[in-house]
Amino acid sequence: MSEKQTSVFNLSRRSILGGIASAGAMAAAGQFAPSIALAQPDSPLTRAIPGTDERIPIIGMGSWITFNVGASQKLRDERAKVLQTFFDMGGGLVDSSPMYGSSEEVIGYCLGRIKNRQTLFSATKVWTVSKSMGTRQMKASAELWGLEKFDLMQIHNLLDWETHLETLKAWKENGRVRHIGMTTSHGRRHGDLEEVMGSQPLDFVQFTYNIADREAEKRLLPLAADKGIAVIINRPFQRGTLIEKFERHPLPDWAGDIACANWAQFFLKFVVSHPAVTCAIPATSRVDHMRENMSVLKGPLPDAKTRQRMIEYVEKL
Amino acid sequence: MIPFSPEVFFALFEEYNLAIWPAQIVAYVLGLLVLGLVFRPSVSGNRFIGAILAIFWLGNGIAYHWLYFMPINFAAPLFAVLFVIEALILWWRFIIRGDLTFRFHRDIAGAAGVTLMIFAMVIYPLLGMASGHNWPQAAMFGVAPSPMVIFTFGVLLLATPRVPIVPIVIPVMWALISGSAAWFLDIPEDVSLPLAGVVAVFVLVRKNRRAS
Ligand SMILES: NC(=O)c1ccc[n+]([C@@H]2O[C@H](COP(=O)([O-])OP(=O)(O)OC[C@H]3O[C@@H](n4cnc5c(N)ncnc54)[C@H](OP(=O)(O)O)[C@@H]3O)[C@@H](O)[C@H]2O)c1
Repeated sequence: MSEKQTSVFNLSRRSILGGIASAGAMAAAGQFAPSIALAQPDSPLTRAIPGTDERIPIIGMGSWITFNVGASQKLRDERAKVLQTFFDMGGGLVDSSPMYGSSEEVIGYCLGRIKNRQTLFSATKVWTVSKSMGTRQMKASAELWGLEKFDLMQIHNLLDWETHLETLKAWKENGRVRHIGMTTSHGRRHGDLEEVMGSQPLDFVQFTYNIADREAEKRLLPLAADKGIAVIINRPFQRGTLIEKFERHPLPDWAGDIACANWAQFFLKFVVSHPAVTCAIPATSRVDHMRENMSVLKGPLPDAKTRQRMIEYVEKL
Repeated sequence: MIPFSPEVFFALFEEYNLAIWPAQIVAYVLGLLVLGLVFRPSVSGNRFIGAILAIFWLGNGIAYHWLYFMPINFAAPLFAVLFVIEALILWWRFIIRGDLTFRFHRDIAGAAGVTLMIFAMVIYPLLGMASGHNWPQAAMFGVAPSPMVIFTFGVLLLATPRVPIVPIVIPVMWALISGSAAWFLDIPEDVSLPLAGVVAVFVLVRKNRRAS
């Protein structure tokens, strides 16, 4: 993506990093830094990729299930509208994986029909064993997306990570990929991920964090802030079950103060207002849901006190 | 961990059904022939039944799993291999060894076997229609795994003097896999699969205990 076009923070890189680091420390201590969302009118909220001048919109898009529509022309065209809405509303990071069936191919199909995709920050994963299979898979992914190279290549669920990390370090050095990262969505792998984060030069990590599953607040988020690693949050809606569970309940009276018109926005704002989070990647197959999710880019985000209130409200229901 | 939605699942069925048409009719004719033959057992009839079952499994493994479902399901290659292995097991057990007869007896195993066969051909599609899964989005007999596996349970229960264990292992595994998929994808008619599996195992144990 072209850098800085969505810049909203009038802060130096050092002050952002410092802010995130101290916010991370505060998070670890059970406190939260105040919201750092300072949007200019109409420009989407972005966060910096630590250690770079590059910024990405705080809401990205996942593609597990939602973009795995196979060869169905009708469904492909419907998904193209979803992705079009994503870019129209200032979206950037699109996440996929070879594990997601036809998703990569469908994303490639949709991207081919979208003009205003300059903000695309392409992120996929390597999900196989061995160096040769990994290399082959990453090349195949680029072909499916119709790209020369990815902005971010992640090692999916830490699978054969030692092997792939060596390949990816070399690829990054040669300019074949811009950033490298690692993902998980299992709480039981947090310890392993933490070890890798502590010992390896990762640009990004991806894990689960949402209002009902805040395990990551304890170690992963503070560690990422401390190490200057960008954080992508998967399953912000707990695969949709959060919304299903809460939609019969009313939003709190004060939801309007943080511009939440529905539960999806409420849950997303909770996730992306954590100071160590770079971006959340909700997945959707629907244009109306995409609109709801992308509206979060307009802000405002809750501050630490409001975040606590959000937790208490949800826990009471 | 099902990587597709019900909407995509049934859209793919539509594509599959239209692409293989009129294989569904052929499958029904073969199914009816098998049903008729268990009431008139003969050596060549036994081999025919074994061959039909093997062809059903081979066809589902290659056409359904490998050619159609692989693009949307990372587990499809594994399922394809399992189905082809089952086809080979059936071929080996009923054609190469060929020491078992498929025969309807007026007993529990006979009743359960024929009921499951008819269920697969008639009741299962009706349940599907009641859940809104109409042609061409329906899982059709013989060419889609669920009704084909229920049919297989029915036929195997009619094996005489004993129900062979090895050929029933993969169908039972599939019944469990499909049962969980039915739950996650909300396909009510597929709940019948694990139920058919339980009936099959129960009747198998009972029949084999009596035979020994
Ligand atoms: N290990 C890994 O690398 C890993 C693991 C898990 C996930 N991920 C990534 O993270 C992404 C997000 O996780 P996820 O897809 O599992 O779960 P999620 O984003 O928490 O939830 C997706 C579900 O939420 C629903 N939804 C989205 N927006 C909505 C709205 N505004 N209102 C109501 N419902 C809404 C969607 O249904 P509709 O389609 O009806 O909108 C979908 O069923 C994945 O797609 C994937 O890219 C990576």
